[in-house]
Amino acid sequence: MANILQEIEQQIAGAKRGVAKQNVGTVREIGDGVAKIEGLTDAMLNEMIDFGNDIYGIALNLEETEVGAIILGEYTHIKEGQECRTTGRLLSVPVGKGLLGRVVNAIGQPLDGKGPIQSDTFYPVEKIAPGIIKRRSVSQPVQTGIMAVDAMIPIGRGQRELIIGDRSTGKTTIGIDTIINQARMNRAAEQAGDKSYRPLYCIYVAIGQKQSNIVRVINVLEEQGAMPYTIVVAASAADTATNQYLAPFAGAAMGEWFMDNGMDALIIFDDLSKHAVAYRQVSLVLRRPSGREAYPGDVFYLHSRLLERSARLSEKAGNGSLTALPIIETQLGDVSAYIPTNVISITDGQIYLETDLFYQGIRPAISVGLSVSRVGSAAQVKAMKQVAGRIKGELAQFRELAAFAQFGSDLDAKTQAQLERGKRIVEVFKQPQYNPVPVEVQVGVLWAVQNGFFDDVSVDKLKDCQARMTDYLTSRKSDLMAKILKEKALNDALIAELKAAVTEFKQTYR
Amino acid sequence: MKVSKEARHVARSLYRDSLTDGRLDENKVRTIVSGLAAAKPRELIPILKTYERLVRLEIERNTARVESAAALDGAMQQQITAQLQQIYRRPIAAEFGVNPELIGGVRVRVGSDVWDGSVANRLRELGAAL
Ligand SMILES: Nc1ncnc2c1ncn2[C@@H]1O[C@H](COP(=O)(O)OP(=O)(O)OP(=O)(O)O)[C@@H](O)[C@H]1O
Ligand SMILES: [Mg+2]
Repeated sequence: MANILQEIEQQIAGAKRGVAKQNVGTVREIGDGVAKIEGLTDAMLNEMIDFGNDIYGIALNLEETEVGAIILGEYTHIKEGQECRTTGRLLSVPVGKGLLGRVVNAIGQPLDGKGPIQSDTFYPVEKIAPGIIKRRSVSQPVQTGIMAVDAMIPIGRGQRELIIGDRSTGKTTIGIDTIINQARMNRAAEQAGDKSYRPLYCIYVAIGQKQSNIVRVINVLEEQGAMPYTIVVAASAADTATNQYLAPFAGAAMGEWFMDNGMDALIIFDDLSKHAVAYRQVSLVLRRPSGREAYPGDVFYLHSRLLERSARLSEKAGNGSLTALPIIETQLGDVSAYIPTNVISITDGQIYLETDLFYQGIRPAISVGLSVSRVGSAAQVKAMKQVAGRIKGELAQFRELAAFAQFGSDLDAKTQAQLERGKRIVEVFKQPQYNPVPVEVQVGVLWAVQNGFFDDVSVDKLKDCQARMTDYLTSRKSDLMAKILKEKALNDALIAELKAAVTEFKQTYR
Repeated sequence: MKVSKEARHVARSLYRDSLTDGRLDENKVRTIVSGLAAAKPRELIPILKTYERLVRLEIERNTARVESAAALDGAMQQQITAQLQQIYRRPIAAEFGVNPELIGGVRVRVGSDVWDGSVANRLRELGAAL
């Protein structure tokens, strides 16, 4: 009996010591998913605030007398005058391979009804102290499978390449095709037991899109067998502005996990225009001062902080990478608006899509003249450099000549030939959606273009001829294709073999 | 209520004028409030409300609200007041109250700091941990 009393005494002593100081505040105002809280003097920026009953917010505005917090999820249960407290924790999301194949919301909760997320690791959505990332130069390619991109605007792992264009110009499709191609390559390497291949995992972040659009994207990814290598983070137009604001940061945290663990990942932000609007909304209810185009003054910092997180780490830091493909929607092609200018200045290049090209049937509607990749051919395999080196220039020259040729009829033979070649290059780069082309096939076809094998094919037959040649190379010359893929460069022997193959094909082609 | 930058600025500077040696001076506060009411500046109400809030927060910062399930005796009250003085190193006025909802123990709030040693809080924490 005496023992039990002693135990109780100990419990009491322990309990006495256990009274820790807490920091609380009182809700003064609540609405639009934002709470204005008096007190909370210890709150840190981005700290989670506990409102009780499993409702949390994030402290975004730290002012002299109050804290502005955005509420995650349902805010209607929060009442004016109620107490809330700091937690000492930053908003975190689950990360890891357990998220592959899953569709989650902005705080990493499943939306796909496939049960709980298998993960015991969490990353804060905002990097606490990014510091100087141990970056190294970008040299490994991201094969998008889109010929125009891989040949003329190559993207390297760790790069930030913007996809920009008006509405409905095929922006999302560029991203989706890239994801599909990664899935194919990852799977092929897996099946071949190729340990040297570094799989590229993908994260697709949908921000402020219609639910039906998001569903369509997920269906395509599923049909194409890409989901096992992909994470989808969705904050649709029906979601709160808070969740739309957070979603890309959550996706970035998930991508960082791959990078930190020596793997490669690619993240698509679709799109940052809608993200900026959501942020404007959040800032408005937080009563932050606004600047140009009514966006809060720190929207530039918002996007640079987000895109800063992609990088290629040094060998010492594990050699991982995070590639970012942010998407921006322009109005009437205006790239000088506030948000487009900002994001252009933060990224390493852009793929520029044009409505005119789209309606002329040039799809993907990539404007080669306006698109750039600051990384350039450093991100191409040697074989691609060999066949594509001059093609961008030829195409640009063709555009000039074509504009010029409209005025005069008597063109010299050389100009005429250049024009004819140009028309064929334009055709070659037309590519239907969800049809990524393996890099070795791209090399074969572009080699044939460069060496005049398409010159005697009429322009309207060119797509047909290209398709049959592709077929021929993949089915009849699969050994040669495998060799190109493995060697990554065209040596004399391979060129001779390629030449023989293309010649043979041309003889059978009618 | 939307308070303009100017109103906030005026309120803040009036608040600074209400301090003597860094502590709120009741007499100054009275003078300022009656002066304001007489002068009727533009945005009088927003200025007053903002000013009131700054004053209230300062008072709360220097006041401890001590709640317990049952009334505390004088010795206990003194002990708590002394402890608070030690923590904050400035005079803290303690107000004592009874709140049966705490079930047992004591809860102290100074500004936005809370020490919650109540049984109710313990039970809540226990519930959350389970
Ligand atoms: N390479 C292509 N070939 C044929 N059709 C395409 C191609 N790329 C896109 N499309 C079609 O064009 C339409 C718009 O494509 P997509 O949704 O990718 O554009 P977007 O710029 O993302 O549009 P939004 O502004 O609605 O986000 C879709 O119907 C898509 O199927
Ligand atoms: Mg789209």
